[in-house]
Amino acid sequence: MKHVGTLLVLVIVFILPVIVLLLTGLAPGWRFPDVWPDRFSLKGIDYLVRHHDQILTSLGSSFVFSLLTVMLTLSMCLFPAAVFARVEFKGKALLEGLLLSPALVPPMTFAMGLHFLFIKLSLTETMVGVVVLLAMFSYPYMFRALVAGFQTMGEDYRMCARNLGAGTLAILLQVELPLLIPAAVAGGSVVFLVAFSEYFLVFLIGGGSVASFTGTLFPLLTSSNRSLAAILTLIFLILPILLFLAMDTAVGRLYRRKGML
Amino acid sequence: MSWTTNLFLRLIPLILPYLALFCGGVFLTVCQSIGVLTPLPQDGGALDAYARLLTDRSFFASFGFSLGVAAVSAFFAVAVGTILAYRAWQLPGRLAHAALVYKIPLILPHIAVAFVVMVFWGQSGILASAAHWLGLIQSMNEFPNVLYSGWGIGMVLAYTLKGTPFAMLLVMALLARFDVRQIQTAAMLGASGLRIFSSIVLPRLAPAIHTGFIILFLYSFGAFDIPYLLSESRPGMLSIHVYNLYFKHDLARRPEAMAILTIMFGFAVLFIIAYTKVVRRLENGVRKL
Repeated sequence: MKHVGTLLVLVIVFILPVIVLLLTGLAPGWRFPDVWPDRFSLKGIDYLVRHHDQILTSLGSSFVFSLLTVMLTLSMCLFPAAVFARVEFKGKALLEGLLLSPALVPPMTFAMGLHFLFIKLSLTETMVGVVVLLAMFSYPYMFRALVAGFQTMGEDYRMCARNLGAGTLAILLQVELPLLIPAAVAGGSVVFLVAFSEYFLVFLIGGGSVASFTGTLFPLLTSSNRSLAAILTLIFLILPILLFLAMDTAVGRLYRRKGML
Repeated sequence: MSWTTNLFLRLIPLILPYLALFCGGVFLTVCQSIGVLTPLPQDGGALDAYARLLTDRSFFASFGFSLGVAAVSAFFAVAVGTILAYRAWQLPGRLAHAALVYKIPLILPHIAVAFVVMVFWGQSGILASAAHWLGLIQSMNEFPNVLYSGWGIGMVLAYTLKGTPFAMLLVMALLARFDVRQIQTAAMLGASGLRIFSSIVLPRLAPAIHTGFIILFLYSFGAFDIPYLLSESRPGMLSIHVYNLYFKHDLARRPEAMAILTIMFGFAVLFIIAYTKVVRRLENGVRKL
């Protein structure tokens, strides 16, 4: 069985951490040298229930600014992506390289300069400031995905719609956007994850006013209450998965209703 | 409306924020590094902050350390990710779905991955317990101090764990379009598994491998989250150095923090240019099928 090794490595590297987190969450007193916790308790979950206000607030806040970041990057990239997929012009490769660079260079290098500007514009400690900053280094993922989406779509649908007399707006809303949904979801998932899991830059721009789940999680990771930290980490894992599954189902349903599947 | 204006108008939603916020942000960083727009007026020359950095041995130590951590972790992530992606791609149908578990660390934020590393590799962690159970060590002090060895091993482990699925994702995307018949032909002609991987599969995966390496290397080089949890005091990562100068020292040190960021930015840009040039030259020497 040559696949046993592969599966074993996959399990050890990717599943074992989740199991250990689960055990840590359910056994607050689990210590060296026990390989298996000798006592399980729901203390961690109990704490979670008692502090559900703070945790839900930060979770909600993280969700909102991450989704807003996805919206913002989508609106920034939609038209430019169409141009990059369809039009040839001089200096296109260079411009594309430049536009993708914010995802490559360390975001701190421009974020800390922007911090000064955001203070002057009173954008620090606001949701708007956080969303704008997050969008600035996560948009390249959306951009790449949308360019690829426009390329796979090709020009045929647009031509066909135009021949049938559709205007520019109708083509965009009724033909191109529905066809772009998979690409937008792919790009949006990455943007969402980047925004949802960022700790430092949200803290830099948002200060104490914009609550974030990473901000709530961070002090717990270094505290002695490992059990709670593990539970919150698991929530971190489950929520995006649920979101992606919901998106998948919604897109599938939409496509079936439109007769595209 | 001429064709060029039309084109430009349609690019504006991206170009405007790029210029105003990205370029503007870098510009403000550079400005503050030469003492312009700093909270305190800077006395002395514009390049004072740079002069101070270049005579500071701890800056070079940090720079070298950051490079090392970034290079080692990006290398391991890409190497492990490529091999695992190839093996997972070969899994038969139903098992291939099981391989999707690789996306777990992709979803976890960096600080959570750092936490996983702490839980596993700490001196009172799971691996220490396992070693004790196996009779390899008697007390937790005998377990190697992986996280605080002074070599940044904890950070390398965290970045590798976080980077491996990312590399896998990029490689899988290429493998999905890979023609299996090439492998079957090579196997029929008597090529060994290793030979097939190195001469047929690997060259095809090169673009994903290079992209993955650049992204992971530059990310670990300049990111803050993982070092903030796992770094040791000396030599620290550059991002921690910047953080301390920016938040913990008095305002007069602000230009120094910004000068480090400027140098990091310059290095990142040079690295991208140099890397792509080298790759292009290497690929020109390779015979294309």
